[in-house]
Amino acid sequence: MPDKKVTIQATRFDPDRDEKPRLQSYEIPFSDESMVVLDALNYIKSHVDGSLSYRWSCRMGICGSCGMMVNGTPKLTCNAFLRDYWPRPVVVEPLNNFPLIRDLVIDMDDFMHKLKSIKPWIIRKQEIPLGGGEHRQTNDQIDEFRQFSECINCMLCYAACPVYGLNNEFLGPAATALARRYNLDSRDQGLTQRLPVIADTEGVWECSFVGECSVVCPKGVDPAKAIQQTKLDTTMRFVLPFGTRE
Amino acid sequence: MSSEALVPSPHRGEGEGEGRESREYRWRMPANWWTRSRRYFLYVVREFTALPLALWLLWLLVEIKRAGDGPARYSPHGSAAFVVFSVIVLLFALYHSFTFLTLAGTIIHLRFIDRPVPASLIVLSQFALWAVASGVIAFVLIWFGR
Repeated sequence: MPDKKVTIQATRFDPDRDEKPRLQSYEIPFSDESMVVLDALNYIKSHVDGSLSYRWSCRMGICGSCGMMVNGTPKLTCNAFLRDYWPRPVVVEPLNNFPLIRDLVIDMDDFMHKLKSIKPWIIRKQEIPLGGGEHRQTNDQIDEFRQFSECINCMLCYAACPVYGLNNEFLGPAATALARRYNLDSRDQGLTQRLPVIADTEGVWECSFVGECSVVCPKGVDPAKAIQQTKLDTTMRFVLPFGTRE
Repeated sequence: MSSEALVPSPHRGEGEGEGRESREYRWRMPANWWTRSRRYFLYVVREFTALPLALWLLWLLVEIKRAGDGPARYSPHGSAAFVVFSVIVLLFALYHSFTFLTLAGTIIHLRFIDRPVPASLIVLSQFALWAVASGVIAFVLIWFGR
């Protein structure tokens, strides 16, 4: 029986030579049913074409580095099995909605800037000294924000969001989900510092609830939910008396 | 091993090289982005349904203004074309309302006796309120319109 093959079509773009990206086709052995798209890229890099550029790190769906468009859908390539596409060709492209640096490598500066703008860390008005003990939380308090803390910053949600694609001033799904993660944390007191960013017109109010961000999230985070609930909370904060706004 | 076949990328957006200074290819959303996924298409349909609905409501305001001139001179617009348009708008309104109320379970988060209220119950309550509100409005229109 002849060896099974799979065709990978990967985006190639050399900024020093190319005017625009193009697809390059590679036919590689599909020797193992557990092969994922990232394995195919690694095979190409090791055995066929060492100039192919892409990001990856952990190969286990944790680091969020290997997000790419696989047959038009944002995926972690370490979690996209070739068997789900075979015998059709697998088209691997850089994430939509981001500037392209080279081949499958996108420029993530915009996302990093947005991430920093929502201050994704616990903010205290006054730090408790170490001797004061730990910040205790009940299970219910943890459940409030737990799902939003699962975000791995893979940016698949940004690639799936047409609102961000049309207006990259939009704060976007992951940054809002992480802002909500900290705003819901009983230890955090930084809501008022984050509000100017998340309640801005380019913040949650830019979202028109396409919902695709939540569909493509590989970690089961629901950024659309975070955005809509933030809309409701900021509205209630505006409507309610000052004393109850904190 | 490599077939070295170079073909245009089918999924990429329309963009432009930014020259050698930034050395980046800038993404630009293609005009037909909403046809590339069923969910995108349904989203655009959902948003679009608001437009004919707004037109119909504007017409309703005109009718109310005309009704204010007195019952003797008032004759509501009833051409076949307007009836067809109204039926289409009704379908759009039902679709828009259905999608909106279905999403309520995602948007609203309530707690009852320290437990979160299930999203399905929130959605059900929204549909129940919708039915009650529709019934009350129908009663008012029929009762006072006799």
